[in-house]
Amino acid sequence: MTLPADIDALVRLFVVANVVLLVVLVLIYIERKVLAHIQQRLGPMRTGFHGILQTPADAIKLLIKEDLTPQSADRWVFQLAPFLVFVPIFMMFVTIPFTGELVVRNLDLGIFYLVAFSSLHVVGLLMAGWGSDNKYALLGGVRAAAQLISFELPLAFAILGVVVWSGSLNLKEIVELQTGIPFLLLQPLGVLIFLVASLAELSRTPFDIPTAESEVIGGPLVEYSGMRWSIFMLAEYASLFATAAIAAAIYLGGWEWPFAPRAGELDGWAARLAGVTWFVIKTLGLIILVFWLRGTLPRLRIDQLMGFAWKMLIPFSFINLIITAAAVVYGGVILLAGWLATGGFAYAVYIRSRR
Amino acid sequence: MLGVLKGLVTTWKTHWRAPVTVQYPDERLPLQPRYMGFPGLMWDAEHDEPFCTGCQVCMRYCPTGCMFVEMKDNPKFATGESKRRKIVADFTINLSRCISCSICVEVCNFEAIEMTHHHERAGYYPDQVAGLPTLFQMSADHRAGVGQKPGHETRNLL
Amino acid sequence: MTTERALRTVDMHINVGPQHPATHGVFRMVLEVDGERVAGCTPYIGYLHRGFEKLAENEEWQEVIIHLDRTDYISQFNNELCYAMGMERLLGVEPPERAEYARVILAELNRIVSHMMFYGAFGADVGALTPFLYAFRERERLQRLFEAVSGARLMHFYFRAGGLKEDLPEGFADELRRMLPAVQHGIDECDRLLTQNEVFLSRTVGVGKLAASEAIAYGCSGPVLRASGVREDVRRSDPYSLYPTLDFDVPVGKNGDCFDRYWVRLAEMRESVRIVQQCLDRLPEGPIRTPVPRYPHFRVEPGEIYVHTENPRGDYGLYLVSKGGVQPYRVKLRSPCFCNLMALGPMLRDSYLADAVVILGSLDIVLGEVDR
Ligand code: SF4
Ligand code: SF4
Repeated sequence: MTLPADIDALVRLFVVANVVLLVVLVLIYIERKVLAHIQQRLGPMRTGFHGILQTPADAIKLLIKEDLTPQSADRWVFQLAPFLVFVPIFMMFVTIPFTGELVVRNLDLGIFYLVAFSSLHVVGLLMAGWGSDNKYALLGGVRAAAQLISFELPLAFAILGVVVWSGSLNLKEIVELQTGIPFLLLQPLGVLIFLVASLAELSRTPFDIPTAESEVIGGPLVEYSGMRWSIFMLAEYASLFATAAIAAAIYLGGWEWPFAPRAGELDGWAARLAGVTWFVIKTLGLIILVFWLRGTLPRLRIDQLMGFAWKMLIPFSFINLIITAAAVVYGGVILLAGWLATGGFAYAVYIRSRR
Repeated sequence: MLGVLKGLVTTWKTHWRAPVTVQYPDERLPLQPRYMGFPGLMWDAEHDEPFCTGCQVCMRYCPTGCMFVEMKDNPKFATGESKRRKIVADFTINLSRCISCSICVEVCNFEAIEMTHHHERAGYYPDQVAGLPTLFQMSADHRAGVGQKPGHETRNLL
Repeated sequence: MTTERALRTVDMHINVGPQHPATHGVFRMVLEVDGERVAGCTPYIGYLHRGFEKLAENEEWQEVIIHLDRTDYISQFNNELCYAMGMERLLGVEPPERAEYARVILAELNRIVSHMMFYGAFGADVGALTPFLYAFRERERLQRLFEAVSGARLMHFYFRAGGLKEDLPEGFADELRRMLPAVQHGIDECDRLLTQNEVFLSRTVGVGKLAASEAIAYGCSGPVLRASGVREDVRRSDPYSLYPTLDFDVPVGKNGDCFDRYWVRLAEMRESVRIVQQCLDRLPEGPIRTPVPRYPHFRVEPGEIYVHTENPRGDYGLYLVSKGGVQPYRVKLRSPCFCNLMALGPMLRDSYLADAVVILGSLDIVLGEVDR
């Protein structure tokens, strides 16, 4: 049964949209539970078994809440902003491969597309900050703009390391190259930079500066309520999922590693199921790492964050790129230098904090 | 990075410990025997009347002015059933203003009032006024709960 | 040709408090910010003003203690201790030994509880979620002990002129002895979570520096003063109660920045554990109250006195005037938080908006005491 290409894409998009909604609900639940247990609390317990229905309940509550627009807000800007945050993030899901076939469209320029779309939602945040006519929101919006644009560079350069090594922008091909060794081991510095930069891209702790509740009280989101606010939340967790999925694909070997079913061993649905399982485990592991960091770390200050991006991450991502390029030309052994550079990076972080 | 790792290890360890919180209305952390909730009036079972004579000492001392006490002649004194000449006629405590300070207990000369374990008085109206029956009930519940006898060493301290 | 107009910029005024999540209690400050830089700060206090000093003039001597609990509502035992000592000096009575030991134990445990509160709030100020819950976990242990002792978790009303309200509960010493290692472990855990964290360090080291001379000039006391490197502690410089006989150190910082203020408090908690340990080993049996004449009313001889104790927040002073009545003639509170708060201005100089929150947190103010 094959559908015409356009219809097929639409069906896939529809499925992905619903999967994303579901995943977001699950992620919020997991985050609340993980944080609760880190803090020796129980977390949500009442709705359903161990509170599993808490997030759907919250979502319904948010949907039926009144959608307030401040009187002095810039009406259109204010009301449009959540969608401009959500749409680019949702667009990223078009080319994220869950397995070789489970993907809406496997673009040849996949990584380029992802990097391009991952930086677009800053527009929405800035609009939210400006349109709310609120000083906290404005500060938060400007912070978001500064932070997201600065961290775009190290993020892209870190990915570039993978692209140079694998010689492809196609996510499927990149994953298939990792059947033996995942790029995690070949690009340690790249992974580190990617993780740090994407934490900042996602505005998660320790880089949750735009929405810092002890300083700007939720930043751009401060005036939003109900439906629009929940779209922001949806976007936040969807982008967390997307970023973790990308990281799992380009560094952890996606559905291929460590036990890729060889041809003939498993086939059809069983192979797909195994692939998806691996993919989900890896993605979830990364996401839980993010939650774990949230439960542990304080928040950086905006100038330190910018300094960190421009003085640490970007130079080190260049180093990573140079090492990878040299490895492509002179042989893979040079990649070992990446481990040295990682050590250097850790040491530099240590030195910076001691000043 | 080392400090961050140290923090991560710490949170990792606590993650596996049992939670210290409980599901509040279903489960409660136990109260200590001396816990001071709201004051209640004790009942003299021997004479089948309250200990309180309505002398208003507690009312005058109460720092928030949340008590109101009235006194009357004790009908049982006339019949000789009781030694109390006067008895409480009306006693109300506005529990939403009470600060559980135990001053009323300490100043009472008749050991008639005690701090009970009642402390959950959240309601829909600003004034949670407890009258005589409630106050007796609170004390009775309290004594049934902790097995405490009337009389306490913290009398007349002020 | 158009003439180029100079871009006109204005500083933005940001209102932090009294409902802002980062302000401690109901403190309000209006920050003048130029981008992220703080250009000026106007603090407003008084939202929690209850007229403690006037109220105290209309209560009987012992009853005032309930208001003392409510001034600095995180270190009640220390406040009560100060007032009880004042009354005792006016009356010329000495509390029995067991009462003294119990007072010091409770006051020091209260110091741990108070500093834990600081730890949690400070953690939240720098943006970490977990320290608050860890701190409250540790607090809870001791609060339950307090509940067993005084019957209340916050407003204890337990220290009286001449001793205590009632004896320590049965098995108190054993319970506490069992609990101390856990408290120590809790402090260590809090220490591990935050102290060496690079993110935490970069947020606090060198932020909100207060030179020793400035700290003295503003009348700062307690951990804020000691963090600036001045070894001044009322427990040592004007010893009261049992402190001269106890062996403990007064931790001091070097730079007077937010980190030092944090570190000093953490170190003080450890010292408090040491003090409690010593007191527990020596805790005698015996009476808990020296009888003071109270018939027909509790009266205090005419006279006036200034007493001060080392509160978790600093030098907590009370000036008591008695005209021989049943009520104090005047009670004046020298609030350490109020004086510490005065140093906020110079500390905020040239800081960032995010630092303002951290600096305010590092002062550890309690508005019940600032506003009174
Ligand atoms: S406990 Fe205190 S506030 Fe409450 S009724 Fe008694 S004296 Fe008044
Ligand atoms: S409770 Fe005690 S003090 Fe109050 S009116 Fe009754 S007898 Fe008097």
